[in-house]
Amino acid sequence: MSKAWLIARREFVSNITKGSFLFAAFGVPLVVIALLFLVFFVIAQSEDDTERIGAVGYVDQSGVFSDAVDVPEDFVAYESAETARAALDESEIGAYFVVPENYLALGNIDTVSRTSLPEALRDQFDAFLISNLGRDLQPEQIERLIEPINNTVLTLDNGRRLQSDALLGLLFTPFIFVFVFLLGSQTTSSYLMSGIVEEKSSRVMEILVTTVTPFQLLFGKIIGLGALGLVQLLAWIGAGAIVLSLGQGIPALQGVTIPLDLIVIGLLYFLLGYFLLASIFAGVGAVSSSEQESRQLAGIFSLGFSVPFFFITQFLTDPDGPLVTFLSLFPFTSPVTIMMRMGFGAIPPEQLILSIVILLVTTLIVVWASARIFRWALLLYGKRPSFGQIIGALRRSPVMATTPNESAGR
Amino acid sequence: MATAIQVDHISKSYGSFQAVRDLTFEVYSGEIFAMLGPNGAGKSTTIRMILDILKPDSGIIRVLGGKIDESIKNRIGYLPEERGLYRSVPVVDVMTYLGTLKGLSSNEARKRSLAYLDKLELGEFAKKKVSDLSKGMQQKVQFAVTVLHDPELIIIDEPFSGLDPVNTLIVEGLIKEFRAKGGAVVMSTHQMYQVEYLADRLVMINRGQQALYGQVDEVRNRYALPAVIVEGEGNWAALPGIERVETETDGRGTLLFLKANTQADDILEMIAKRDDFHVRRFELAVPRLNDIFIQVVEQGRLGA
Repeated sequence: MSKAWLIARREFVSNITKGSFLFAAFGVPLVVIALLFLVFFVIAQSEDDTERIGAVGYVDQSGVFSDAVDVPEDFVAYESAETARAALDESEIGAYFVVPENYLALGNIDTVSRTSLPEALRDQFDAFLISNLGRDLQPEQIERLIEPINNTVLTLDNGRRLQSDALLGLLFTPFIFVFVFLLGSQTTSSYLMSGIVEEKSSRVMEILVTTVTPFQLLFGKIIGLGALGLVQLLAWIGAGAIVLSLGQGIPALQGVTIPLDLIVIGLLYFLLGYFLLASIFAGVGAVSSSEQESRQLAGIFSLGFSVPFFFITQFLTDPDGPLVTFLSLFPFTSPVTIMMRMGFGAIPPEQLILSIVILLVTTLIVVWASARIFRWALLLYGKRPSFGQIIGALRRSPVMATTPNESAGR
Repeated sequence: MATAIQVDHISKSYGSFQAVRDLTFEVYSGEIFAMLGPNGAGKSTTIRMILDILKPDSGIIRVLGGKIDESIKNRIGYLPEERGLYRSVPVVDVMTYLGTLKGLSSNEARKRSLAYLDKLELGEFAKKKVSDLSKGMQQKVQFAVTVLHDPELIIIDEPFSGLDPVNTLIVEGLIKEFRAKGGAVVMSTHQMYQVEYLADRLVMINRGQQALYGQVDEVRNRYALPAVIVEGEGNWAALPGIERVETETDGRGTLLFLKANTQADDILEMIAKRDDFHVRRFELAVPRLNDIFIQVVEQGRLGA
């Protein structure tokens, strides 16, 4: 086992000092998160920005605004839709609302503008309408009509309490977690794979197999690179904790914590998911004749891990539906699915346990199969063995082979 | 002398193809043992079985006194036919890593690597990437990796390929040094002349079977013709005891085939006494290993 440890240490040390790893582990996610925040702030900004519209006209044909009270600044009354239109065409105003004669009966308002209207302007007009419709009420009552629930507190079924402003943070936390998880397990697994392909093509493998057993080699590589992925993940959790403690003043982050259960369950799924992916990649690397070929093969499996992203709306609309349940149990999709669901709400404990058991059993089987293929294929050069030959090697007790037919039956 | 490798009636088949058939030989400590044979004869398969990469279908292999395990693997050095070094890693780091895998401490492996690089006149390349080295330099580094951990047995496959005459001499020196310290060397090669002057004993494998086995000199003498080679002047055919005369294949000497009951000594004695003969060279017609090799392979082909 000490040789496995030496191999693990080399894989860890030689990769953690690589610029390409540091960039993939920290640079890429930083850029992605920065972009996400940038987009979010630009949108939020434009929704709050009523000034870009300038003055706003309104045409009252229903009488709601006769002797109007609480007229917001920049709101200008027009006699008819035609004069308002002319003012819009002259760019005196940026938009106008028409309150038709039958408004009280139907509730329709026509809005005319050159650009899309910010959410804040609509809120302003709503408040203006409510103030005038309810002008017989007390000011406090008007206040409550405009904002009936202040400071929404959502109590999730897993007991987490969140203010409505922090909903964004609620969605972000698992999303970033999943993102880092995928990135971490995939970069390290692909290092594992390309390392094996390189050792085979440079024939270092010839030396390695006369020095260590294939299991020591496989085990050492998986442990060493797994530690690398773990460091990456922990660094992100740490960075997240720092951002949250510094950013308590930002409404979107208020009340958001990285919950302990998400970390614990997340780490468990990370480890199991990583072992699953890494051992598949190791097997693929061992049977591939070139790095390009191995990437193509491995791409199919890594795609499977990110499938849950395509169904993200289902997680919100139908978290207990059959699709989400299936994704939570299927071993290739469960790590990402469970982590995303943990952010949204509680997962029935029996489902969580079943999911972990299925993933654990699958991982054990795949590690076993991969180790057999790995040992069998280490000294195969040139042509990639056929699927039938690989299955043959799995079924018989395999030893190292130098031609694909060995111990695969004929 | 201690037995380093004991190969006892091993056989190995790949499906219906029998790669090695009932092969038996021994390698002793303190000797260079050559493993010869045409391509595809079963040399690589045999080496891989000795190294425990492949398992024989039948037969027993004992290496350094036992069945091979991890501690025995640490006492073996292997130089594969196709060189294996990490390409984009500094030379000294590759050597150190492979040395630690053989049981050296990291410090010790690094110290020895640097010492070997100096010895091989590669000291200035220690921090260079392997891929920046010439083929010959890589070959020397590979050899250093093979002996870095002071093994008791090294198995070297075509150790001189890609080396110029000067570097060939350096590596030869290292191999002899290793033998002088009591190490066992198994050398697989097609360079017959190197076997003739480097190797102590040999096994030749043809079609998976043992074709020749024994001391190099003894094997060559076994194939010796009843003839002597002379270079000089004189009417050779007129000498008593000479059956017939042929020009030697390289054209420089003359082959004198002796009659039965005539010894080479008798001929030499006779020539020395006569004034009408002048001799610059006189030797037994021991065939070159190369000729024996070809002869054995041809016979195998006819016999099959």
